Amino acid sequence: MLFFRSEERVREWCSAAGYPLRPVVRMDQLWELAREWYSTRLQPESRRPQPAEMRQIFGRLGLVGDFWDPQSDAFGTSE
Amino acid sequence: MEIDLKVKLAIYEHFAASGRRPSLNDIAARVGAAVPQVRESFRRLREQRVLVLEEDAETIRMAPPFSGIPTQHRVSAAGVSYYANCAWDALGIPAALRQPATVHSRCERSLEPLELAVTDRGPEAADWVFHCLVPASQWWNDIVFT
Repeated sequence: MLFFRSEERVREWCSAAGYPLRPVVRMDQLWELAREWYSTRLQPESRRPQPAEMRQIFGRLGLVGDFWDPQSDAFGTSE
Repeated sequence: MEIDLKVKLAIYEHFAASGRRPSLNDIAARVGAAVPQVRESFRRLREQRVLVLEEDAETIRMAPPFSGIPTQHRVSAAGVSYYANCAWDALGIPAALRQPATVHSRCERSLEPLELAVTDRGPEAADWVFHCLVPASQWWNDIVFT
């Protein structure tokens, strides 16, 4: 999970390393993900989002499809 | 309060105050429990994906968003320097601390440095982007690589 200066830099990096190009996320979307995951992390009631909640959060931000589905089997076995 | 919750909160309080990972002994002293009891709690927290431990099963590698080891993603807030596990966690630290912060990282392709101010309203306007290679269903297969 890395920062890039632009989508063009992501494409160059993936191409050079032979990696698949994945969906690119804007910084405002990343902030919302960070808030959803961590804004209560120092509090007693904190808990990690579970799959259904993850799907809702991603969907709200327009991050949809198999790549963002925590229970997708499109990419092989998950743990 | 049950031991696992006490241990978890003590770990996060230590990271938030110092930017560094606490040892097993630090946490045992903090919660007033025996070291073997806290070691078992670390194990359970790892199973719950609250912690990532080193191979010795007692040294904290990650208490997301905090990293127990130096990384390319550094966050400074209120005079304390933190390391994040990844780009997502670099924004996760100001979100968790609920404090203004500056994220210091880089473009993985060009190595151009990133210095990003973050307030409680989020990061300043920036046209940088985030990219994750690993699908969400696979993140915990190898969370260090993810």
